[in-house]
Amino acid sequence: MAWIGVLTAIALLVVVALPLAFVVLQAVFPDLAAGSMTGAFKPVVDALDDDSLPGLLGNTLGLGLSVCAGSLALALPLAALRAFTRLPWAAFWDLLFLIPFMLPPYIGAFAWALTLQPNGYLAQATGLYGASLLFSRAGVAAVMVLHLFPVAYFAISRTLAALGPRQAEAARVCGAGPLRRALRVTLPMSLPAIAGSMLLVFALSIEEYGTPAALGKPIEFLVLVTSIEERLAEWPIDLPGAAVLSLVLLALAALAFLAQHRVATRRDYTSVTGKAAAPTPAPLGPWRLPALALFAATGLVAVVVPVGAVLATAFSETLSGGLAWSNMGLRHFRAVLAPDSGALQALGNSLMLACGAAVTTGVLGGLAAFVTVRRHAQGPAAGLLDALATLPNALPGMVVAVGMILAWNREAWGITVYNTPWILLLAYTCLLLPYPVRNVSASLRQISSGLDDAARVCGATPAMLLRRVVLPLVWPSLLVSMLMVFAIATRELVASVMLAPSGFDTVATYVFNQFIQGSPGTGMALSVFAIFSSTALLIALYTGARRRGSIAV
Amino acid sequence: MKSLSRRSILSLAGTSATMLALPVARATPAAVTVYTAGPAGLARQLASGFQKRTGMEVKLFQATTGQVMARLAAEKANPQADVLISASWDTAVDLAAQGELLAHTSPNATQVPAPLKHSHYVAQGAAALAIVWNPKSGKPRPQDWSDLATPEYRNLVTMPDPATSGSAYGLLSGLLASDAYGWPFFERLKANGLVIAGANAQALNPVMQGAKAAVFGAVDYISLGAQAQGEQIEVIYPRSGTVLEARPAMILKSARQVEGARQFIDYLLTDEAQGLVATTYMLPARQDIAARRPGWKDVPLLPEQSGGPSRAETLARFKATMGSRG
Repeated sequence: MAWIGVLTAIALLVVVALPLAFVVLQAVFPDLAAGSMTGAFKPVVDALDDDSLPGLLGNTLGLGLSVCAGSLALALPLAALRAFTRLPWAAFWDLLFLIPFMLPPYIGAFAWALTLQPNGYLAQATGLYGASLLFSRAGVAAVMVLHLFPVAYFAISRTLAALGPRQAEAARVCGAGPLRRALRVTLPMSLPAIAGSMLLVFALSIEEYGTPAALGKPIEFLVLVTSIEERLAEWPIDLPGAAVLSLVLLALAALAFLAQHRVATRRDYTSVTGKAAAPTPAPLGPWRLPALALFAATGLVAVVVPVGAVLATAFSETLSGGLAWSNMGLRHFRAVLAPDSGALQALGNSLMLACGAAVTTGVLGGLAAFVTVRRHAQGPAAGLLDALATLPNALPGMVVAVGMILAWNREAWGITVYNTPWILLLAYTCLLLPYPVRNVSASLRQISSGLDDAARVCGATPAMLLRRVVLPLVWPSLLVSMLMVFAIATRELVASVMLAPSGFDTVATYVFNQFIQGSPGTGMALSVFAIFSSTALLIALYTGARRRGSIAV
Repeated sequence: MKSLSRRSILSLAGTSATMLALPVARATPAAVTVYTAGPAGLARQLASGFQKRTGMEVKLFQATTGQVMARLAAEKANPQADVLISASWDTAVDLAAQGELLAHTSPNATQVPAPLKHSHYVAQGAAALAIVWNPKSGKPRPQDWSDLATPEYRNLVTMPDPATSGSAYGLLSGLLASDAYGWPFFERLKANGLVIAGANAQALNPVMQGAKAAVFGAVDYISLGAQAQGEQIEVIYPRSGTVLEARPAMILKSARQVEGARQFIDYLLTDEAQGLVATTYMLPARQDIAARRPGWKDVPLLPEQSGGPSRAETLARFKATMGSRG
């Protein structure tokens, strides 16, 4: 078993620790990029001495915590309904809630602005507008909740479903009422999944750039990540300052990680012990309509409104023409489909990279979760592996990109992935690894290690154990997290811009370019292609996976 | 004397043209690596035009000026770029002062006005900063910068952030140096509810949709392009003058393909490449190439300034002036 641990550790060191180490070195040695070690620690002192830092920290923490609270409030009821009841069209809702992921945050925020600002789409349709609601701290947090809540929804619903009904049944036999069963049995048993997904949401919300930049900047609501991006995008470039602030961000995520770790390991959460217990979702009865209404309302606000704004912009000949039949047309789609536009090639690149990222993170993340949860790595080593596989989540994409350049753009390597598309795969793997790790760890904590022992007694090799016992049990969690990785990788922008080899475009870099050159409509048209083609691919993967295994995914 | 120098320049241009016309002589088709800000379409066309002429491949990295600069900074240990085209003149001035550039005087630069060339860099093109106004806003057509500080434009004006947009910074320092404006004018704008948006597009989009009425200091070529696509906006050059922001092209000292880089800069100033620049509604750097927009003589300019406070000081004061919300 040890060799699996060693291999996983080596892979994590190369994918995560190496670029991270260069970010740390850059923070300490300001002239590292030029190969000099002089002036050590000056940037650390300078950045930490800045009087704007406390304000930035406060804003960042406040935003992260409110996005967590909002996501949990929205996701918990949905996840419980999805897990415990015979919800109609369950697969449809799952797919629908993956769509917010596929919308890049800056496009989502822009779509909301186009909808809610004065003379926006809502005002054109109904005369109402809500700019002051949107351009506010609460507005920034709400828009982020709407595209991050699926992280919590998927993690919690899968874990709750895997819990099975036995413990709750036992509590019922002992006389506990429904409320008491939920609060004393089901909720505590699902704590690892809740804590794990809150950690992801927290890390994602303090790392996200698009929404705070688009909606927060006009009201001077600045967070750490906007300040990091300013240091990297404003002449003169301040690499060391950006690296120091990234480490502050990382420290925040590490605190969240420790809190999560305490919750997840404090008790034994085993519920899957090998005794057959088919999950028996309860019929909804009279609650069918209200439950469906809740799902539909969430889908409307989180998916239909922003995607509708994207569609409206893509099909409008001009933005100033507004919502009018005479202004509808296919100009932007023609621009995207023009043979020399390179847009479809960018789409192909993105889809291929996203598939690659889903597979590599799935394999590596699944193994990392198995090794740490099953203690095939001991003591601090296990903690370190777990942390390595989680922390990249809080690193802004731009900083991971800089770390990758510093690490891989060296003549000493001889042959390097830098300046080839492989570096993008490496960057996506680093950034997105936490999804499978968190989801699979949470489900592994529910699966008794007695099953592993039983397999071993029966003479299973480690590979057989993984393939025949562990994989089928964690497959629902693993698959859903791989789908999330796919969705996010199709639209990753910041690292892609910095690392794309010459002449290589992805959807996100192409769309962003259209935006900065003042043709949002053309950018939106390619986004439409991207959203629909990745959704189609997801449906194919999802139905394929459901058919193959007899497991409820 | 004058005719002699002109003749020598002509002969130089002739020689370089012959060199450009003989790609066959090259044993191994080397590749020039170009990092460029600005429109992606233009960058691609220039790359393929250059390859047709010289047989040399162009490896292109195209992004915003900030992203290009960040990639250059991160690659310092093992530099990749040969040629850099930035959207902000300051970057060239600073890089030259730091000794990061190679000197190159292109024989094709004779028609480029003197302020737009230097021993180490030369403009590819330029854009002016303008007021972009939405005629459907129902507000009077602004004639000058100060009209946007009037009560009619209360809460209806956006401005690109001078910290992110090099050209907006050029306008800021130009207006600060002018007696008619200075800091009190920006305080009035702030009191009138001016919103600082991120980049140019972020300032322009709300005006196109009609959420705001005007952009204070938009880069004109993007708006002229949007207008050509049918957007109902108007680009207005204020009476009291504005600034031109030139886009410098330069060869990095760390270049590996020095010869190819020189040829690329020369190519940028050919009729063909300057014509491509004109199609983006930018002002071509060469005055003898027809622009598809108001040209050098049609845009009133603010008086030239020299010296003044540093960029960091100006931006810090700008942040303080425009930041505190009442």
